[in-house]
Amino acid sequence: MRHNYGKIRVVLYGAGTFLVLLSLWQIAAMTSNSEIGFPTPVAVIGRFFHMLSNKVGSYTIWGHTLWSLSRVVIGYLLACVLGVVLGLTMGWFPYVKALFKPVFDLLRPIAPLAWIPLAILWFGIGEKYKYFLIFIAAFVPFTLNSYAGAVRVDRQLIGAARMLGASHSQVFFRIVVPSAVPSIFSGAQVALSNAWMTMLAAEMVRSSEGIGWLIIAGQGINDMTQMIAGMLAIGIVGFLLANGMRLLERRCLVWNNQGK
Amino acid sequence: MEQSGKIGKEKLSCRGITKSFSSSSGNFEVLHDLTFDVYENEFLVLFGPGQCGKTTLLYMLAGLEECTEGEVFHNGEPVTGPAPSRAVVYQTMALFPWMTVWDNVSFSQKVRKAEKKVIAERTQYFIDLVGLTGFEKSYPVQLSGGMKQRVGIARAYCSDPDVLLMDEPFGHLDAQTRYMMQESLGKIWENEKRTIVFVTNNIEEALYLADRIILLSDCPSQIKKEYRITLPRPRSLVSPEFLKLRKEITEQMNMSD
Repeated sequence: MRHNYGKIRVVLYGAGTFLVLLSLWQIAAMTSNSEIGFPTPVAVIGRFFHMLSNKVGSYTIWGHTLWSLSRVVIGYLLACVLGVVLGLTMGWFPYVKALFKPVFDLLRPIAPLAWIPLAILWFGIGEKYKYFLIFIAAFVPFTLNSYAGAVRVDRQLIGAARMLGASHSQVFFRIVVPSAVPSIFSGAQVALSNAWMTMLAAEMVRSSEGIGWLIIAGQGINDMTQMIAGMLAIGIVGFLLANGMRLLERRCLVWNNQGK
Repeated sequence: MEQSGKIGKEKLSCRGITKSFSSSSGNFEVLHDLTFDVYENEFLVLFGPGQCGKTTLLYMLAGLEECTEGEVFHNGEPVTGPAPSRAVVYQTMALFPWMTVWDNVSFSQKVRKAEKKVIAERTQYFIDLVGLTGFEKSYPVQLSGGMKQRVGIARAYCSDPDVLLMDEPFGHLDAQTRYMMQESLGKIWENEKRTIVFVTNNIEEALYLADRIILLSDCPSQIKKEYRITLPRPRSLVSPEFLKLRKEITEQMNMSD
């Protein structure tokens, strides 16, 4: 009972801060005499719900979100497959490391956004350049964490597997790969937030749909309400993605949690 | 040596093995010129003080460490690397944490691509033997220390080794669990006779389990003395013979060379 009571209190405190901030915002917006009308939170939330069923540009906010999500998913999955394969093999096979690690180390400090001009030159302003940027943003954490996971495999487990008769490839697939999974998951979290961020930048630079576009389009017509409503959508989807990933991680890593 | 009355033929033979590690401050010798044999179905305990060389010696028997000098033979063949015929039970258990008890125990059979039916029967048999029936689907993290080491023992047994090498398998357990595990291991071994080499620094454990004890000296480890233990099993920890031997070996261990 007491435990539940504590939990409720934590939620109430959080909600309290939230309400205070929103009220301050509401009061400030209502009493402001600035020339650009600053929208009230009520107006923003109202607009957000309005956009759920009314089109802005060619789509409702659902449509824009789906566009953004589809770009993230494609770039992200591509980065996941290639990053995990490269990271794990680099971490386990010395010759793969010798071949690729120097190039990777040289390229990885370059921020994904620095690739925008080149990417547009190479792939045009369509979807491909967005996939490419999102790919770059997610590829680095995927590779790095898979690499770290493979390097840090418990040597004693390798010895145990070999003494139980596992061949070299069985050691890689049955020991190295699964023991790197927790590390890959923490890479996946970073990759996801990187991808989500980079998607916005890519859409703001050049697109005609997506949440990034929604915000930039709002700027084009001086519609602050639309911009903030777009930001609200980013926040909500980003929050859901991160938590979905955490849930998936908990599901996949039962063995890594203290018996839960 | 006076081995004539022994149960079986030699399984493992160590011939003049020496191990030293080189570091910045020079060579550090942990084992010096050890020669001994391990016989078929014998329970041999390597007993000695401190942290010097016993585990290294066991790993050399397993093929997980190389000898600096000398050679280890298994059934007359030189040991060059780890092999399923010499299974290790680790002090740290070294269970695969992402595998259930069942998957840990059946690992050796699966990587050898044994028949499904054979895998299932063997795995169940050894899980039952170590008393883990009902925990097949648990992950190691969900088990207590003693249960984890039961998995380690079942996993080693299930790979059908010729020799079992146990590196202070109960070293991390609390005293109560330790007694229980010693008793269990004694019974398991009576049911499934194998050649076992068991490392410990606990004299009670050594006397409770061993057919023969090799007493090692402190660094660098050398063979100080051998004891054949013929007390009837299951042994009592408080019988006069047990206590007498215990005193004798402890005194011998503490005597300077």
